[in-house]
Amino acid sequence: MIDTSMYKDDPGYNIQEKLDIPYDPTLADREYNPQKPMAGRLTDQGPPHYEQFFPEVIKKNYGKWLTHEFVQSGVIKYTSETGDLMWVVRCATPRLITTNLLREIGEIADKFCEGVCRWTTRNSLEYHVTDEGTLKDLIEFLNNFKHPGGSYKLPIGGTGAGITNIVHTQGWIHCHTPATDASGMVKAVMDDMFEYWNSHKLPAKLRISMACCLNMCGAVHCSDIALLGIHRKPPFVEDDRITGVCEIPLAIAACPTAAIKPAKVTLPNGKEVKTVRVNEPRCMFCGNCYTMCPAMPLADEEGDGVAILAGGKISNRISTPTFSKLIVPYIPNELPRFESVCKIVRNIVEAYSKGANKYERLGDWAARVGWERFFEQCQLPFTEKSIDDYRLAYDTYHTTTQFKWSSHTDKLMKEAGY
Amino acid sequence: MAADIEELKKKVLDYMAKKSKFKPKMYFKDLCKADESAKMREIKKAASALVQEEKVEYWSSGSTTLYSLKGASSKETDTFEHD
Amino acid sequence: MADLKKHDTPLLDELKKGPFPSFVDDLETRGKGGVQCCYDLLGQLELSYVHKETHWKHGGIVGVFGYGGGVIGRYSDAPEQFPTIAHFHTLRVNQPASKFYNSKFLNKLCDMWDHRGSGVTNFHGSTGDMILIGTSTDELEPTFYDLSHQFDMDLGGSGSNLRTPACCMGKARCEYSCLDTQAICYDLTMTYQDELHRPAFPYKFKFKVSGCPNDCVAAIARSCTSIIGTWRDNIRIDQKAVQAYVGGEIPPNAGAFSDRDWGAFDLQKEVIDLCPSGCMYMDGNDLKIDDRECTRCMHCINVMPSALRTGVDCGATILNGAKAPILEGAQMSTLIIPFIKMEYPYEEFKDYVDLMWDWWMEEGKNRERLGELIQRQGLAHYIVDILGREPIPQHVKEPRSNPYPFWKEEEVPGGWKRNLADFRARHLA
Ligand code: HEM
Ligand code: HEM
Ligand code: HEM
Ligand code: SF4
Ligand code: SF4
Ligand code: SF4
Ligand code: SF4
Repeated sequence: MIDTSMYKDDPGYNIQEKLDIPYDPTLADREYNPQKPMAGRLTDQGPPHYEQFFPEVIKKNYGKWLTHEFVQSGVIKYTSETGDLMWVVRCATPRLITTNLLREIGEIADKFCEGVCRWTTRNSLEYHVTDEGTLKDLIEFLNNFKHPGGSYKLPIGGTGAGITNIVHTQGWIHCHTPATDASGMVKAVMDDMFEYWNSHKLPAKLRISMACCLNMCGAVHCSDIALLGIHRKPPFVEDDRITGVCEIPLAIAACPTAAIKPAKVTLPNGKEVKTVRVNEPRCMFCGNCYTMCPAMPLADEEGDGVAILAGGKISNRISTPTFSKLIVPYIPNELPRFESVCKIVRNIVEAYSKGANKYERLGDWAARVGWERFFEQCQLPFTEKSIDDYRLAYDTYHTTTQFKWSSHTDKLMKEAGY
Repeated sequence: MAADIEELKKKVLDYMAKKSKFKPKMYFKDLCKADESAKMREIKKAASALVQEEKVEYWSSGSTTLYSLKGASSKETDTFEHD
Repeated sequence: MADLKKHDTPLLDELKKGPFPSFVDDLETRGKGGVQCCYDLLGQLELSYVHKETHWKHGGIVGVFGYGGGVIGRYSDAPEQFPTIAHFHTLRVNQPASKFYNSKFLNKLCDMWDHRGSGVTNFHGSTGDMILIGTSTDELEPTFYDLSHQFDMDLGGSGSNLRTPACCMGKARCEYSCLDTQAICYDLTMTYQDELHRPAFPYKFKFKVSGCPNDCVAAIARSCTSIIGTWRDNIRIDQKAVQAYVGGEIPPNAGAFSDRDWGAFDLQKEVIDLCPSGCMYMDGNDLKIDDRECTRCMHCINVMPSALRTGVDCGATILNGAKAPILEGAQMSTLIIPFIKMEYPYEEFKDYVDLMWDWWMEEGKNRERLGELIQRQGLAHYIVDILGREPIPQHVKEPRSNPYPFWKEEEVPGGWKRNLADFRARHLA
């Protein structure tokens, strides 16, 4: 079934033998010579072959699985045509983890699962077991496995019609452009949504994603709910430093709205320097200039915050993949627990849970009842910021006489005195 | 047509030797002028092979990449993208 | 060893509360164990919580010899307060396809990263790489040396190159998978090592592989070339199992709705009526599918995985050009090749990759993603002139609604050079 002829060009290759040798902390210091970097260098060897890490039950049943069942939230039972059974336990991680936790993850794998574990695309951890006794022990173990502050280290859940782990980016823990923090917001929102993490009570699966600036390393633009850090002030231009640290033409070319123009200024010390000027009304606060040019920072305590988009999806199930739509243009950064973000997410999830049909994703529900009803039921104000004026804006114009009466039109009617 | 890699490597080296006198560090786009009929990815392969053979030095910021003949240049910093 | 110094973090301490795993507790536990940089990292994060601004400086160029990617430079802008994180660079390490690991590997990796760096990681980055967060410039080469010699690992992509390909777990666990996703991901990673490590593209490029249209790795939303499994023959139906669903013996959708009372399973309402192409019907007690009309959306299979299975004549649908909104607005991948066999060594697929990359490298502007180039030069041009493929109705959601296609001179009989004198001989001016 598995084509082992591709293992690092050597069918006999076995990474386990290499892993059996303990880590040698002095090897590189002995062998690596900065004067001769190519000596003994191994490049372009790629990752190890994946099959080397499979548990036996997966090696044996690769491509032979027949069906699966979520026996409870976070526990999936697989049946193979060979008659083999396997249970997978899925648990959340915050993605940002230390080697302390990694070692514990390995210990649990040793204790219950032949030493094997797997991470999902959405940063959850999965353990594989082959008998129900071990399954029970593993679940019990994980349910009691906690941090000193009381949070679960590896809480079970994330399957079926619930909320899976939030994919997210670095935030203030490790990036230079964030408009908000990622790990902290994810923690706050998941704490609040925890009842949906470990249950199957929503109308369909609901995916929340988080990215801390418009670059969207996490590609949140197709999520049921997307939390996005945004800046609202144009960049500084540090005239006295720009020539030294940045290639001006690259910064100019980076701006999507062509808001940056070359300029010459005279510094207070009388020196004339080449720099740039930003046509501020044209700036969309994307931070692309800062990515190219460190003398154009744009982070700002009052300018920065969070936008919320909703109604996107990726899967092709029933309806086609769709983008998320801007429903809340700005919320200030409320630290440390992002109360307003949590509250809005809860409003949306609860309105959706109440209103949607079985199998209906959030965006499909909003499209069916109408976005006017969506805003009403989620108790969200509609602002002009939700009306597109960027490229392809016309796609979102409402070119029909069909609309629903809602609190928004009620208000207009009242104001008109009808 | 797929060019012979050895031939391309030679062309790249010759071109770099010629060019190196007045411009020691070359962008990838410059290297492509070594053989305008070859595909860019083939030139890339030839250049990478020359780097492996330590005949050519390679430096990249992630978005800007510079090639030079071995010993022809010192380190250089350039643009600032690395995502 | 200098004294361990814990900074006050009253704001972050609030993030130890609640049930979801607390990264603050994890970092603090490690700090307590004698690792000052974890305390400093929390200290600096606390400062960001107070200032509501990041305290990381804009990058700076660091890397390992001979590679143009895989390392992200990072410096603190408060190094005096937090000296152990003054340099705190990241390495992206290419993960094994679909991210299975064993404890031997993890333990040895921890030994290495505790020795060479901070012991802080991301499992995993959004592209799929293992991310090792936090080490100094001096340790980059030794870390790479250790990874390549003691783990047989390599760095992943960053910068204007091929990013580390990623895939769903496919046949390892999922009965829906129409592709050997891991094998494809591994093979593409190995084939295109040069493209992955030495940037020469106009911008980043991503491959992602999902085994079926459920698209668990979000290929359609975030890869320049999305490879998504599908089938050409019929959905396999086990009529007895269908009846078991109807009779309530098997929970619908594999039990995904188990914590709410949605009433008894209703095959008509929940499956037949929701089929987007309306191609299912009952023939007596038998469920029938008009497979030629089926768009393979996966709904019916998801609802009744024990009764319905994907077909057996499998391959991939190839779509191109997804990207996050910057610059030209968000794009989803667009259908290019409706069906292609994906069998080792994937030559047909790689021939297509060559055409695509040659075009993009020649024509793409600096920082122009493939999806943006397709928009700029036209989808039809890409499909017909570059890839040499026949245009089909599946390439569009609907035909264009303006009558302004560009005709080429050679398409019009007689070309565009005309004789004015002849024209005027027929028409007075
Ligand atoms: C046999 C059934 C299924 C299994 C075992 C399964 C498993 C998974 C796993 C493990 C992930 C994490 C992705 C990875 O790391 O590979 C995932 C993500 C995902 N699944 Fe499934 N899944 C199943 C069915 C479905 C169904 C029925 C849908 C859609 C209706 C679906 C849509 C998705 C999507 C869209 C993602 C990720 C999307 C994102 O990143 O936003 N999957 N699934
Ligand atoms: C113009 C667009 C983008 C820019 C300028 C950008 C910039 C950056 C920067 C500076 C970092 C470093 C964060 C750190 O210090 O660790 C980063 C991390 C990362 N970026 Fe991007 N990014 C962009 C778009 C994307 C997109 C669309 C994706 C993926 C779909 C992506 C994937 C990643 C990944 C995987 C990381 C590693 C850290 C993480 O997972 O959060 N980037 N990006
Ligand atoms: C290059 C672009 C166009 C030119 C030069 C043009 C020119 C004309 C002219 C000269 C007439 C008058 C014909 C007559 O003698 O009755 C006309 C009529 C009309 N045009 Fe256009 N037109 C253009 C584009 C359009 C477009 C894009 C639309 C609509 C989307 C449009 C809609 C109409 C309509 C509705 C009439 C009236 C037809 C009728 O008599 O029922 N035109 N146009
Ligand atoms: S989304 Fe923006 S701020 Fe966040 S990690 Fe990516 S580039 Fe940095
Ligand atoms: S933030 Fe974006 S729009 Fe504003 S000047 Fe910089 S590149 Fe241009
Ligand atoms: S994409 Fe399809 S084949 Fe892959 S894991 Fe998801 S449901 Fe299974
Ligand atoms: S896969 Fe989708 S389109 Fe095809 S029969 Fe099932 S529900 Fe209908």
